[in-house]
Amino acid sequence: MTFTIDYLALAPELVIVGTLLVVFTLDMVLTRPKKFWIATAAVAGTALAAIPLVILGVQGETRSMFDGSYVVDEFALVLKGLFIVAAYLVLLMSHHYIESERYYQGEYYFLLLASVLGSLVMASSRDLIILFIGLELTTAPLFLLTGWRKGDAKSNEASLKYFILGVLSTAILLYGMSFLYGLTGEITFSGLAEATAGRGDEPAMVMAILFVIVGFGFKIAAVPFHFWAPDTYEGAPTPITAYLSVNSKIAGFVALLLMLYIALPGVSEVWAPALWILAALSMTVGNLSALRQTNIVRLLAYSSVAQAGFMLVPFAAAAVVGADLEEAFAATVVYLAIYAVMNLGAFAVVIAGARKTRSGELSAWAGLAQVDSRLGVLVAVFFFSLAGIPPLAGWFAKFAMFRSVMIAGGTTTVVLAVIAAVNAVIALYYYAKVVKTVWVDDPTGEFVEDVEAAPAVSLRLALWVSLALTVAIGFFPALVTFVGDASRVIAVGG
Amino acid sequence: MVEGILFVLMAVTALAGAVTVVVARNPVYSAMGLLGTLFSVAVLYVAQLAHFVAAVQVIVYAGAVMTLFLFVIMFIGVDTSDDRDERLPMQRFWVGILAGVIVLLAAGITLSGNFDWVPAAVETIPEATNGTIQAIAEPLFTDWVLAFEATALLLTISAAGAIALAHFKGQRT
Amino acid sequence: MSWPEFWIVVLRVILTFGLLLVVTILNVWAERKILAKMQSRIGPSRAGPYGILQTLADGMKLFFKESITPRKVELGMYVLAPFLAVIPAFLIFMMVPWGRPFMIGDHEVTLQGADLNVGLLFILAMSSMAVYAVILAGWSSGSTYPLIGGVRATAQAISYEAAMGLAMVAVVMFSATQGDGGTLSLAEIVERQSGTWGDLSPALQPVLQFVPRWNVFPQIVAFVIFFIAIVAETNRAPFDLVEAEQEIVGGFHTEYSGIRFAMFFLAEYINIFSMSAIAATLFLGGWNGPTFDGVLPGFVSAVLPTIYFLAKTYFLVFLFFWLRATLPRLRYDQLMQLGWKRLIPGALGWLIVSTLVISFRQFGPPWS
Repeated sequence: MTFTIDYLALAPELVIVGTLLVVFTLDMVLTRPKKFWIATAAVAGTALAAIPLVILGVQGETRSMFDGSYVVDEFALVLKGLFIVAAYLVLLMSHHYIESERYYQGEYYFLLLASVLGSLVMASSRDLIILFIGLELTTAPLFLLTGWRKGDAKSNEASLKYFILGVLSTAILLYGMSFLYGLTGEITFSGLAEATAGRGDEPAMVMAILFVIVGFGFKIAAVPFHFWAPDTYEGAPTPITAYLSVNSKIAGFVALLLMLYIALPGVSEVWAPALWILAALSMTVGNLSALRQTNIVRLLAYSSVAQAGFMLVPFAAAAVVGADLEEAFAATVVYLAIYAVMNLGAFAVVIAGARKTRSGELSAWAGLAQVDSRLGVLVAVFFFSLAGIPPLAGWFAKFAMFRSVMIAGGTTTVVLAVIAAVNAVIALYYYAKVVKTVWVDDPTGEFVEDVEAAPAVSLRLALWVSLALTVAIGFFPALVTFVGDASRVIAVGG
Repeated sequence: MVEGILFVLMAVTALAGAVTVVVARNPVYSAMGLLGTLFSVAVLYVAQLAHFVAAVQVIVYAGAVMTLFLFVIMFIGVDTSDDRDERLPMQRFWVGILAGVIVLLAAGITLSGNFDWVPAAVETIPEATNGTIQAIAEPLFTDWVLAFEATALLLTISAAGAIALAHFKGQRT
Repeated sequence: MSWPEFWIVVLRVILTFGLLLVVTILNVWAERKILAKMQSRIGPSRAGPYGILQTLADGMKLFFKESITPRKVELGMYVLAPFLAVIPAFLIFMMVPWGRPFMIGDHEVTLQGADLNVGLLFILAMSSMAVYAVILAGWSSGSTYPLIGGVRATAQAISYEAAMGLAMVAVVMFSATQGDGGTLSLAEIVERQSGTWGDLSPALQPVLQFVPRWNVFPQIVAFVIFFIAIVAETNRAPFDLVEAEQEIVGGFHTEYSGIRFAMFFLAEYINIFSMSAIAATLFLGGWNGPTFDGVLPGFVSAVLPTIYFLAKTYFLVFLFFWLRATLPRLRYDQLMQLGWKRLIPGALGWLIVSTLVISFRQFGPPWS
């Protein structure tokens, strides 16, 4: 039997694997003062992984491997690019944070890169097994990384909560998948799509699909499966929080959408109402809880719960009325891309600000702009962008979302759109509150004003990149519309 | 016929073991219950001619994982009076209700009969030249090599990360 | 399955079982006698000629003694543990082919309890099961010394099982080159070791034609690692920390007496024999040897392989006894160091080397 592997199609993953090994070897060889080379290697490796992506993108052909269970199409490439850019930013944020607090560095980057690898694998997966392994590879390192600040009780709490709920959700997800397999005998998405079509009236099928949605609900922290999110986000090292709220959340979303869009479109009457409820609850509960937060990381945690709700809106709306899912799919991917950039920026600002305030409490941030106006501007940019104020990137995400809802039409979608609109206003309040605290309020305490507190070069680079992207996308939305268009070219696989 | 008897027997021991895991007061008995379940399932694999899976199940789960469980339980030294107070009032009652509802739901779905399982596609499994190992090895290293390697990485990161976390000697604040 | 086949299976199992019991009883006596010789003592000499019936007498005594059940034991596990020790010990030996297959009428009788295509994995599985007996006995006794013994046993078994498995992998991979594809069936592995290395190299043919085709010659490193690992697996000196008398009295079976103690005792000696038998099967060609078919009477030719098998196994069993008489017991940290820092890396390294050599021979150099 001849068996060949398309190495070019796997090149991004292979580069990351190579980087993993280099990082591990360097960690064994280098002494403490030279450990920064590890971070350098990790960052360089991640950047390198983008090169084969570009080559593949230029060639633009759909490559299918392993009996069609692994597909590299434009959709996969775009998402891989998104994951790599996000990972690149997180690595930049991590460098100084991890080094200055004297945590283990080699293992940190090793685990983080393994998680990135998982998300890359997942973007290409077109069957249940590879999807599941990719998803686990994305989340399993994070169980450990959330507990990296081992000296801090909060970090332990974060890790434990994330671990227990993560494992529970994995079990539920897997249970649902095993039911799907038992009912259809198929593991490939294309096979599932054929075998499930029109079987939405079977109770066992309904149960299987609901289990899958509940499982993914935990991963994307949608209400009512969001309980782990605030505590985990608060306790984890901040770069990991950024990673959790961006890469791991997007990975969960991609997995969910891939399954629903490619594997289960024939039974949308089962999952559409569930998705509708998840979206409405996530937006409302997330935003209302965020209103009462005094800690900036917890605020961002609830904000990301609410954002997950917004992201679910297009899909839920289109599916409920039975409209074409393609438009909704493209809108969601656009939202994901913009969310990634601005949320990473927000976390980078939080890391930079926390060096000066030595606290995550919002009260300690009062008047920060008076000592460092550049940081103040950044706070304003990213938080207003999250709120969706033009001309910052966030507005286009919201616009794409509402546009796809309008295209879908129908009463239930309008209800969802109204809920979304109300929530957008609520969200504006607490995002603006942060900006107000930083710019208007008087300082309550002393800020740390030494060289140590200044953002490191790598962090500054992360800030610049995300700032540039946020502003540029806001002015030229065409920069991301190709992301949505590319996602229309999605191969079903074998 | 023989297979049917074997299935009933092993299903009963597997379930009994699973119930023991939950009910037993002493964690060692819970661990042994789990061992019984794993072993019964291994026997079921043998009945399905999946010798390789059965052997691996016993080596990995029953042999390595459960031994580690017992090891940990013994090292920690379980005080039987530990954790007997239930902080949530009526905890048992509500859990019982929930369990009952789930069992009823499952029974309802099963009895409704409004679904069909796909029967095992025996005829699609290629006749193995020499037992089941070759039949597993070939797809594992061709079509599923990516999933296989990714799983290997998954296990490696768990080990590496767990050691890094356990080995960390920081000041507890 | 027809009735003759059924009776043949029953016969096979009974034969294997009987052989194991007889051999084990002899083993206990042999150990005492050999140790005595090495320590300039006489050893058992009263019961039967040269005291050969001593074990039987001991067994009878233990059988009729009271099985004391201490008050603080966890009764269920305490009673279960001895059985868990004996059952895997018997099952392991069921996999070992101990003689050449012969024909009764037109039915083939293989002298082996059962020939599974996952035979080696089954052995690994059962040897990992044996740990439970020790750990449960230690824990359920409700006493400190047995508990320490049990915990030591677990750590030791886990550590050395890895090295044992890796050594097995190396030999299985090598064995795969000796026939058509890889196999984990012990009968098949034995078959592949028949003959000599004569065809390996024409130049050395005069010498090599007298060297049997045993796996031990190409896989000597794996053999050494495997042997050390099985000594540790069976908790024998110098790895007998599990029952180090000076530190923890009798270890895990301190609180056992009567027939329950006898079962642990039995299991230990069965394990020594069956592990040696596996080593002989994997590395020393099992029952292979010159049988002089046609020269000697057919009956002798049929029995000779079993004798070769027993001779090879007893050679290894003798090594066990020799080690016990010679080497002092390791410290706990030395035990772990040896396991994790010497044997496992060694076995991995050997696995890589042997894989490279095998693939080089199979597929030629990578640049070709």
